Amino acid sequence: MSSKYHLSGIAAALLATMSGAVGASQTTTVQGLHDNSSQFFALQNATIVTEPGQRIENATLVIRNGKIERINRNNQAPAGARVLDLTGHIIYPGFIDPYSNYGVAEPGERQRGGWRSQPPVYNNKREGGNAGNDAIHSQYDWVDSVKTDAKAARAYVEQGFTAVQSARLDGIFQGQAVTLSLADKIPNNIIYNPYGRHFGSFDKGSSEQQYPSSLMGSIALVRQTLSDANWYEQAFGKQAHNGPVEYNAALQELIEIEREGLVFKVSDDKSLLRAHDVLSRFNVPATYVGSNFEYARVDAIKSTNSTLILPLNFPAAPEVNGVNDHLDVSLADLRHWERAPSNAAVMAQAGIDFAFTLSDLQKQSDFWPNLRKAVAHGLSQEDALAALTTIPARIAGVADKAGKLAPGYMADFVVADGDLFQQGEIQSVWLQGQQVEMKPLRQAVLAGDFSVELANQTLPLTIKAGKRMSGELTLAGETIALRNLERDDAQVQFVFDAELAGMNGAWRVRMGQTSATGYSGIAVSPSGRELPLRAERVADAASAPEKTETSVNYASRVTFPNVAFGLDGLPPRQNLHIKNATVWTADEQGVLENADILIRDGKFERIGTDLRTPRGFTVIDAEGKHVTPGIIDEHSHIAIDRGVNEGSEAITAEVRIGDVVNPDDIHIYRSLAGGTTMAQLLHGSANPIGGQAQVIKLRWGGTAEQLKFDAAPPSIKFALGENVKQSNWGSNYTVRYPQTRMGVETIMRDGFTAALEYRQRLREYDKLSRREKEQTAPPRPDYRLNTLLEILDSERFVHAHSYVQSEILMLIRLAEEFDFTLTTFTHILEGYKVASEMAKHGAGGSTFADWWAYKFEVYDAIPQNACLMQDKGVLTSVNSDSNDLQRRLNTEAAKSVTYCGMSEHEALQLVTLNPAKQLKVDEYVGSITEGKHADFVIWNDHPLSAYASPDSTWINARKFFDRDADLAMRDAVAAEKQALIQKLLASPAAARQGDNGGYKKPQPTWECNTEHDVWLDAFTVHSHD
Amino acid sequence: MKAFVKAVLAATLFTTTTAATAHDMVPAGPQTEPVLLQNGTVYTITNGVLENADVLFDDGKIVAVGTNLEVPAQAQVIDITGKHVYPGLIALDTTLGLVEIGAVRASDDQNEVGAITPEVSGHIAYNPDSEIIPTVRYNGVTHAEVVPQGELIMGRSSLLKTDGWTYEDSAESLNVALHVNWPRAGLNTAWWERRSPAEQRKANAEALQRLKDAFTEARAYYDAKLAGETNGTDLRWEAMSDLFTGTIQLFVHADDKRQIEQAVEFSKEYGFDLVIVGGRDAWRVTELLATEQVPVIYGAMYGLPTRDDEPYDQAYRTPALLAQAGVDFALAYPGYWDVRNLAFGAGNSVAYGLDREAALAAITLKPAQLMGVDAELGSIEVGKNASLIVSDGDILDHREHGVELMFIDGGRVDLNNRHLQLYNKYKQKP
Repeated sequence: MSSKYHLSGIAAALLATMSGAVGASQTTTVQGLHDNSSQFFALQNATIVTEPGQRIENATLVIRNGKIERINRNNQAPAGARVLDLTGHIIYPGFIDPYSNYGVAEPGERQRGGWRSQPPVYNNKREGGNAGNDAIHSQYDWVDSVKTDAKAARAYVEQGFTAVQSARLDGIFQGQAVTLSLADKIPNNIIYNPYGRHFGSFDKGSSEQQYPSSLMGSIALVRQTLSDANWYEQAFGKQAHNGPVEYNAALQELIEIEREGLVFKVSDDKSLLRAHDVLSRFNVPATYVGSNFEYARVDAIKSTNSTLILPLNFPAAPEVNGVNDHLDVSLADLRHWERAPSNAAVMAQAGIDFAFTLSDLQKQSDFWPNLRKAVAHGLSQEDALAALTTIPARIAGVADKAGKLAPGYMADFVVADGDLFQQGEIQSVWLQGQQVEMKPLRQAVLAGDFSVELANQTLPLTIKAGKRMSGELTLAGETIALRNLERDDAQVQFVFDAELAGMNGAWRVRMGQTSATGYSGIAVSPSGRELPLRAERVADAASAPEKTETSVNYASRVTFPNVAFGLDGLPPRQNLHIKNATVWTADEQGVLENADILIRDGKFERIGTDLRTPRGFTVIDAEGKHVTPGIIDEHSHIAIDRGVNEGSEAITAEVRIGDVVNPDDIHIYRSLAGGTTMAQLLHGSANPIGGQAQVIKLRWGGTAEQLKFDAAPPSIKFALGENVKQSNWGSNYTVRYPQTRMGVETIMRDGFTAALEYRQRLREYDKLSRREKEQTAPPRPDYRLNTLLEILDSERFVHAHSYVQSEILMLIRLAEEFDFTLTTFTHILEGYKVASEMAKHGAGGSTFADWWAYKFEVYDAIPQNACLMQDKGVLTSVNSDSNDLQRRLNTEAAKSVTYCGMSEHEALQLVTLNPAKQLKVDEYVGSITEGKHADFVIWNDHPLSAYASPDSTWINARKFFDRDADLAMRDAVAAEKQALIQKLLASPAAARQGDNGGYKKPQPTWECNTEHDVWLDAFTVHSHD
Repeated sequence: MKAFVKAVLAATLFTTTTAATAHDMVPAGPQTEPVLLQNGTVYTITNGVLENADVLFDDGKIVAVGTNLEVPAQAQVIDITGKHVYPGLIALDTTLGLVEIGAVRASDDQNEVGAITPEVSGHIAYNPDSEIIPTVRYNGVTHAEVVPQGELIMGRSSLLKTDGWTYEDSAESLNVALHVNWPRAGLNTAWWERRSPAEQRKANAEALQRLKDAFTEARAYYDAKLAGETNGTDLRWEAMSDLFTGTIQLFVHADDKRQIEQAVEFSKEYGFDLVIVGGRDAWRVTELLATEQVPVIYGAMYGLPTRDDEPYDQAYRTPALLAQAGVDFALAYPGYWDVRNLAFGAGNSVAYGLDREAALAAITLKPAQLMGVDAELGSIEVGKNASLIVSDGDILDHREHGVELMFIDGGRVDLNNRHLQLYNKYKQKP
């Protein structure tokens, strides 16, 4: 054998023995002999990709003592360097994972899933100056405890990674990460950046504390914590109203976050936008660890100007092989299966910078196949390499020493035997000049067609490579299959059965490569005689057929939202002339027969008869049709992501439904199909003072921000009775104050009193002289109390979930004592008992039409409630609190005609003008009145009739629902789904494999009383209202 | 205030009590004199709609239906000009009288312990004094099927009148059907499901096997008993023996296509008379249901689409699709307090394509047939029980619905109820 074929083996052996020596540190006392092995290498004849887009052929990489000394554009190796011939190989900069938990301790276990069996924990243990919430770990600097972990490092190194930015991935603020090499050395020698980014997420992680139990609670906690850090910077060392300002290590460490930046993990495109909204308000520069759903909202993501970190965990294909499997698979999931691998390419095309991460991959060996999939979906190799090198180096704060191949940079690089983004494989990975070999640099070629000389005969031999080698020998025109084929790096051995040279039986053969095409070896005959063997390789083995896709034709569409019945975008606004309709104005004009409506620029311009059609207006002949204002729902829980209740603490006025609006909820569309155009999304009823509400228009196809109706004044949910005193939550939930209706009154009183005293302190602080302010801490800004002050100032309006008369009266008197007016009692099933008191106070009532008997406090509910309240002068509406009822509030209103003879026009007002007034938006919507928004419904029948259904539903003169368009859309949905199933059935296994559970989980049907800890994934109670 | 007047009528003319007192609606008792309803619109169900027609009944039975009927001696004549007469509505698949307040465990008798409880009967726990019942009959329901709830074999249902002193007094037909809750056949894609598809399939198969094993046991017991070879009495298999003698029907609660297919196949093996209850996916298997003559009690007239990709009105229009395909079906409104929306739900089916006559039949005659009482109930025909309601207008439409008179077996039912009582009480509050 020529020496060339031995070199790699010797080199590898040498390098392996050196690793301990390289790990020595300047401060470790030397035991025994000093190790001064040479650390000077020259890697010759290589193609060197120094950074994305920069490529040098036939170059030499010179490294010394773990760093790159220079890159020669020729084959000149410096004297004294150990030379490796890398002919035919490509050297890439080592990859950097900017989001990792390498080398840090795992958090403790906690209970996940199912129904909670432990009593709730409301406060965390205070130790070491930690935060008041157990999900805040910002006091940790992970450099302090990071350890080398050779086994964990190997999983990264095998994929070509040489450095990571690492922290414990636990909680909301997770502490400050450390960027370190994956080299097998003591930590002192591998820290690249001791203080990298802070890490964070919305998931409270291992915290057992109740708060936060919802996504909006987590967002509120992020907001309060960042605000607290700002306060702490000014306040620490000074005197607060009740003593010196406490020492708080968690806040102390967050003071610099505006400079240090945050890597923030999100679960989908919507939460990325949510995180950006809160973090950007505090000027926290954030990099988002994404989800591969970003393609579905690329414009909105682009507008954040953020850098992303993308996992390469594409979901396994949904199962569709069974004849009924399509019943369990949604179009949205099929689309995502097809499109997830395109996410990186879409980001790149949009000009969004991103890095890749190994985190979230269930099988790390999927990394390269998935990366190649992303390339097949249009990601350029240059962008892919940037996502592995220069961009993560920037994110991890090591761009001056890693992510490129240049003099002075760390000798962290990857040697591949070909283009890694095509079919190349990683041959070795070098970490700080230390090689980790994945496969021998030179492996003998032992597959192909050979001509074998044995026992004076020339025998054609074919050996096929593969996981299980196979081969055959031709002897006297007869084909003999080889048995027991095995190979190592240099030689192959096998057995064949034949009669040869007069000996019949099993022949054993071994042969190895001696030159480019020459081979030699021995054959042992059936009689035990050794015969020499020579062979010549006459043809290379046919390469395996290309299995991965090289380009992609999509069967799926991408719509807004990206689910069945999604749209291409917001429908166009139209100028309209509606003719000859029965118009239910819901204002003092009542019902107009044969009426015309002119709609211009999204507003009702004129209502009359026989109007002339202005030029360019679209005419709708509505003869025989009824037109009503769009239906408005005072009490809705649709379109809310990840928790309707922050039901942990008794007062959570700081949380905002507006933070978690879910524009992807199909119930938006279904409600449009029932004539509903506006809804107030309320927090649930799990605590006396719940979260802030959000009024939306049902602009299906819009983003969360586009759904919000900004003109609506702020509002908030209160709740009374069984839910807030946890009556139906089981025996574990008996410790939170309040547990009685008496306590509900006092906890609210306490909250308002605290808010007023807080304001007093703010005012007193403002009056202090500059000198006094140097001694005195400013009062800590408190989002919870600020919200209560908004209520007391009548800048935020209360919608109070309530049932029984005593609690209704209680709240009226409490509000009067604190000098504000309750806007609406919602549910209010005993409103009829105290209607005159409500009317006198000025509160409205929004009731269910006919619900009762589902729990004790609704045993006196009656379907005549709306009539009685209205008769006593209460501004009355009918609400749904249900994604089902929200689709048919017209007939819910009609029940007041059925049960207590309300006039039909008044009944329609229960779900149009009256709720508009309760939401204080009646100057814009609620009736067909000149100047108001053109939110309306065209019905095919009398709108209060059981037989009526909407033909079309409009918001600001945009048609968001159309019966005929819907009929066409259902055919399109069915066809697209079929096409995707066909594509899936035709796909090779590689296109179907992937991670489990990579699809968006359907959101529950939220109801008022759904108390679900979305982070623990545990339920306490889920029931109607 | 049309409906308001009608409510007062109901409360004052046809009751002997003041409105505001506690539950004191007295059961009607047997009919004491002939009654002639004169000059209404009569929805006979079996013989079309008769305008300006009369209905005469005596001794609890309908004696004559027609125009200008002769007034018998001593007959009470009620002028119903402009009003609509229907057979009493029959509410299938309810838990009426088994539960008073959902969240109060002490008031809940719906679900016995164990997955296989064929031995329990709904009427046993039926509370005729439930405050719920008068509010349901106020909307026209004269009879309700009371169904025990459960995991696999739920128990036996009975058809009860919504007016009576005791469950015996209320009994129309006891132990009509054995109810099976068919195990899940597809994957649960709901938000709370954490099991993998493979784990789910295994669990589904195990549950199905448990169900089949119970039937095997029941059959073995039945055969052994015929041969005089039992070890003793087993109440579970006793209760199921009626299936093999054909004296009780098999009602299978099944919504998913695969459940329905499995249930049909299973039932064919045993030769049972099968009825599907629920039937959300029935529209997907209309050919099977029509061919095998399996009726459906459809219970999702107001349902949300079962799956994300289904049209918004899929559940609404399913009754129309069943009718079109020739599947025999009744309409139900499962539940207890909300059963009073039965007629409105049928109206919604009309809004989404069902013929109005078919909708009416689906809450009167069809349920009577499925309960095996169509010789007595379900239509306005001579010889049938005088279980009738008189409505101010179209009973299916909220705008006109208003039951002013109800007769069960000829007895005039008190339409007062807790809600009217509270309404009338608080109207007087200053």
